Amino acid sequence: MTAKWVGKRMAMGIVVLLIVSFLSFFIMQAAPGDPAAAFYGGNAQTLTTAEKERITHAFALDQPVAYRYVAWLRETVKGNFGTSYKEGRPVSTILMERLPNTLLLFCATMFFIIAGSIWLGTVAGMKEGSIWDRGLSIFSIATSSIPAFWLGILFIYFFSVSVGILPSSGSSDVSGHGGLLDTIRHLIMPASVLILTHVGIYARFLQEGIKKENRQYYVKVARANGVKEAIIRKGIMRNAAIPYLNYIAITIPSFFGGSIIVESLFGWSGLGQLTVKAVVTKDFPLLMGSVMITGVIVVISLFILDLIMYAMDPKLRKGGVR
Amino acid sequence: MISVSDLSIQIHDKPIIDHVEFTIPRSQITSLIGESGSGKSLTVSAMLGLLPANAKVSGEVLYDGRNLLSESDQVMERIRKKDIFTIFQDAANSFSPSVKMGSQLYAFSGGRVGDAKDVYHMKMHVILESLGLSLGIVEQYPFELSGGMLQRCMIACAFYVEPALLIADEPTSALDMVLQKEFIELVTSLNKERGTTILLITHDLDIVAEAAHTMAVMQRGQVVETGTVEAVFAQPVHAYTKRLLASRF
Repeated sequence: MTAKWVGKRMAMGIVVLLIVSFLSFFIMQAAPGDPAAAFYGGNAQTLTTAEKERITHAFALDQPVAYRYVAWLRETVKGNFGTSYKEGRPVSTILMERLPNTLLLFCATMFFIIAGSIWLGTVAGMKEGSIWDRGLSIFSIATSSIPAFWLGILFIYFFSVSVGILPSSGSSDVSGHGGLLDTIRHLIMPASVLILTHVGIYARFLQEGIKKENRQYYVKVARANGVKEAIIRKGIMRNAAIPYLNYIAITIPSFFGGSIIVESLFGWSGLGQLTVKAVVTKDFPLLMGSVMITGVIVVISLFILDLIMYAMDPKLRKGGVR
Repeated sequence: MISVSDLSIQIHDKPIIDHVEFTIPRSQITSLIGESGSGKSLTVSAMLGLLPANAKVSGEVLYDGRNLLSESDQVMERIRKKDIFTIFQDAANSFSPSVKMGSQLYAFSGGRVGDAKDVYHMKMHVILESLGLSLGIVEQYPFELSGGMLQRCMIACAFYVEPALLIADEPTSALDMVLQKEFIELVTSLNKERGTTILLITHDLDIVAEAAHTMAVMQRGQVVETGTVEAVFAQPVHAYTKRLLASRF
């Protein structure tokens, strides 16, 4: 059953990536702009029609879109994402340069969001009606209502301009030899903005789940029968964790969307910033590459969460794929 | 054994239980009977110290000389753990859905009385077999068992714990006729063989007639009649009791 379940989930992940690639490719082709502009920037105006046609032919843009999609897919499956229009370097090389920074920001923020929300949500949820319970409700509404870019600007103004203790931009110092501590210094502000704007809402979801679980019939039966409170709480946490993990899984794609803004704001040299650059310069191969690699990260994250849920939810195990 | 006197409960300042009085004699089966919403379950919650936070309670629930209504949460937790076992109506939802039955049965029985796992296994296996339950259920989850099997699992725990007081709150409502009869037989055997005091909450007069020694009739938050089952059945005094008995035939 387990191997079959894992197989099905992996197949679903591949289907999701195919749909993402199909939609992205066709939407990008429908967007205005041409590669000559990406290649020559401001000088594109001076190109002759023959030169433009040559470039169009060189990038196979005179072929039907469906043909180009199949050709792109065939090469991508082999690991060849093509060459960046703007930089003239292999897209895979550019992606590999950016991937570690994105993974670092993603893993660091997700770790603190999950750890923080579990702690806050558990304390508030277990003590219904307490100051923690009411406080978290207010905190979650307040923090999730603050736009990340605005909080980011405030952070830059306070920590970089006024106090001057943290760098306002980039992911390492100019020399590039600052080491781990330097990377952490650069990471603090973008990570903090992402954590602060997300931890409250995740904690709130767990808090409500725990409160709901606390009112369940089986909890009343267990308390009435003198079952140890530690065992009851463990059971509540286990049952409340399943919808909480589901919520994380559902929100990971939009979390990634939000991190693009934060990466751009703080000049964090990751995939988000790269995606924005690729959109602005109409660099289709680079844009497709960064969209696909982001898609792979999201699919892998969802697969890991699915595995954890599979281990925790016996109904899922006994009933197969839900 | 338990004497409830002048018990009143208000929720959001609305009186729900109104000056309730009845006693549960030691080693007897007492039935609390009344229609749905008459306040039977809330009375039990008060006795167990498990009223909702918004409830205001007054009166006395004397158990071996102590008023349970004025005891702290910690003391009530100890009393529930040591002396009382409660079987609820909805057996299908009485167990956590994501934990195997084995762990839950242990928490409800061996764990609660402080028995080591090996002692528990020996004792529980005998009880499960005597109740016609396969030993394989310990590896199953609640959603894999029927309501009747789960109710028998609860009884197995009650048999294991041998409580001084067994409270059964509408335990047969979710069971079919055959399982209802079987359940009542098991409960009465617990009373006969081990002298367990039982409070049986029900709205089924047939069950009262078959199992109980004494009874208290509740209507709209009040106890309107108490007495031995024979006396109340032979000569009901209150109009509601008369109507209840008349509707039985």
